[in-house]
Amino acid sequence: MKKSMLGVIDATMLPGEMGELAAYRSPAAIPFAGRYRLIDFILSNLVNSGIQSVAIFPRSPYRSLMDHLGSGKDWDLNRKRDGLFFFPAPAKEGQFSRMAEHLDYFNRSDQKYAVVSNCTTVANMDFGPILDRYLNQNCDILEVMHKGESAHIYLLSLPLLLELIEQRNETGYQSVQDVVEDSASSLTKCNYEFEGFLKRIKSVNDYYQTSMQLLEKDKWSELFNEFQPIYTKVKDEPPTNYLAGSYVTNAMIANGCVIEGEVNHSIVFRAVTIGKNSTVKNSIVMQKSRIGQNCTLEHVIIDKDVSVEDGAVLRGTPEEPLVIKKGSVESAVTST
Amino acid sequence: MAKQKCVAMLLAGGKGSRLKDLTESLAKPAVPFGGKYRIIDFPLSNCANSGIHTVGVLTQYQPLVLNSYIGIGSAWDLDRKNGGVTVLPPYSESSEVKWYSGTASAIYQNLNYIKQYDPEYVLILSGDHIYKMNYDTMLDYHIEKQADVTISVIEVPWEEASRFGIMNTDEKYNVTRFDEKPEKPESNLASMGIYIFNWSVLSKYLEMDESNPDSSNDFGKDVIPAMLADQLKLIAYPFKGYWKDVGTVKSLWEANMDLLDEEQDLNLFEHSWRIYSVNPNQPPQIIGTKAKVQHSLVNEGCVIDGAIEQSVIFQGVEVEEDAVIKECVVMPNARIGHGSFIERAIVMSGLEIPDNTIIRNNSDDILLITEAFLAEKIEQQTRVEEA
Repeated sequence: MKKSMLGVIDATMLPGEMGELAAYRSPAAIPFAGRYRLIDFILSNLVNSGIQSVAIFPRSPYRSLMDHLGSGKDWDLNRKRDGLFFFPAPAKEGQFSRMAEHLDYFNRSDQKYAVVSNCTTVANMDFGPILDRYLNQNCDILEVMHKGESAHIYLLSLPLLLELIEQRNETGYQSVQDVVEDSASSLTKCNYEFEGFLKRIKSVNDYYQTSMQLLEKDKWSELFNEFQPIYTKVKDEPPTNYLAGSYVTNAMIANGCVIEGEVNHSIVFRAVTIGKNSTVKNSIVMQKSRIGQNCTLEHVIIDKDVSVEDGAVLRGTPEEPLVIKKGSVESAVTST
Repeated sequence: MAKQKCVAMLLAGGKGSRLKDLTESLAKPAVPFGGKYRIIDFPLSNCANSGIHTVGVLTQYQPLVLNSYIGIGSAWDLDRKNGGVTVLPPYSESSEVKWYSGTASAIYQNLNYIKQYDPEYVLILSGDHIYKMNYDTMLDYHIEKQADVTISVIEVPWEEASRFGIMNTDEKYNVTRFDEKPEKPESNLASMGIYIFNWSVLSKYLEMDESNPDSSNDFGKDVIPAMLADQLKLIAYPFKGYWKDVGTVKSLWEANMDLLDEEQDLNLFEHSWRIYSVNPNQPPQIIGTKAKVQHSLVNEGCVIDGAIEQSVIFQGVEVEEDAVIKECVVMPNARIGHGSFIERAIVMSGLEIPDNTIIRNNSDDILLITEAFLAEKIEQQTRVEEA
């Protein structure tokens, strides 16, 4: 039963409104919630549901995604049988056309059912009950819904998926979503309403709002629990060092940080330094960025490896957070 | 097996009785340290960072946690096709089970493990100390000095020298005498329990030591003195840097507090010499709206709503509103109830401190807060209330 599903993650989403956050990385690889990447959530959900074979279809640039996933070891997917598969199909448009490039994988799999998911849904979801519902309803394709909207996560039988891939030219369907959205299709559809916390990140604004929601304890605890942990690539950062004079409230802080300034209602990723007399408010600071002394950051998303020099003032608005590009240097003069 | 130049043998079987309840169900090397580590992470990470990838870990006392923690060594990058980590528990021979009776006999019983790698050198380590050290540099020194044995030493304050194994050396660091805990030390060079032996010399002396019925089978007490008596070339390797024996509740607490002292040499944030550990895979820490965290190390998975001052907080710890933690080490998954106050203490793993528990400590000693400690405190309180 447990081995009867395989997972397919379509990570070919275009940057779209993700803007600078996805300028040089797949949206799947955007850092999220202090120590994760967006893809960690769906990938961990699949693994926690007993799925041992996961195929990822990436789109270029996928260096950072590959670097993150490696052999799949951190998700326990470095297996002799099954495991993690990475299937680039550079020249192809259309989900089914890309899958057709790697038909061998689907043909060789002995699982009966397939979960087909997008790569930026943030949720803690067990596919066990979803499969139960699919079997009970006796439908062709199940669509996971959340508050009346599609979560863009589907469950169908593997033979049907193969059929859809092979007949894509005749049917004109290029993705599972195409099939589900076509009311004229003869295939039967059913729904599963997911009750917990779920957000699909499609834009910088989604990203910012969802991140900030995680600072509310009830939301946070819907996403993180000890029984269905979210796995990610392991780093060996020491615990975070709060120096004398630091003032941190209502914040989510990852390991390896050295904090001397003030942090309020913000998310701070791994190995960030925040200097003396600096204030970080309603902001997100990604890994290894350095905030100097006497800086003011408000409604800002600081990408990786950014250096904010002493005295810099960076301000966005709640509706339009300011995004600072990976690796950039923000000095006091140009940023005011 | 492919030949290895140097094989490390890590003695991790000790009980560490002076750590009291901390080692009741745990071998000393598995005792948590520094907010996310266990003591054994230091020698294992030192091995990995020194390029020594063949490590035998000798376990005996309460090995369950330690064995599962070490696993196949992947946390330290020591899961290797050749060599890697091997856990070496005592085993039975045809007639009897041979417990490790001393440090030397533990190695003696695993001579076959070492032999299969046909090494030139054997590095002996213990799982009792917190330090960062490049063993490869020590090996270069051993080779350059053409020593039979090199013993790593550190200068300790003279007034403390009588607590250590003391090496008396000439001006070229040749060891002339070894005194175990001397009353009147003539040197302040303490042995760090780190030895490099030429393999041929070690195997010969271990065989001799084993066949000597009067020997206590200890490196410091028996093997090293025998080698000195035979005028082998024993040389001291002076180490400079942070090194601390965390054998008592107080010294374990002190070593944790040292991590908060910016003047100390032990830097966990150093990228070139990472201390690796098994990742508990916890979400980032949550610092609540009423929390106050000052001068402290806090690990992932903590939910902090109270005040923390000058403390080291391990993963998964919860500190509720209006609770105050001062100069404490809080071990993994402990929960500090609402309105509690705790100072100068080590709180045991997984302990639930009830709401409004006040534990003051103005003494020089460090409290070890356990189930039993809490039960006694509650009993005392009831007695006071009744009186």
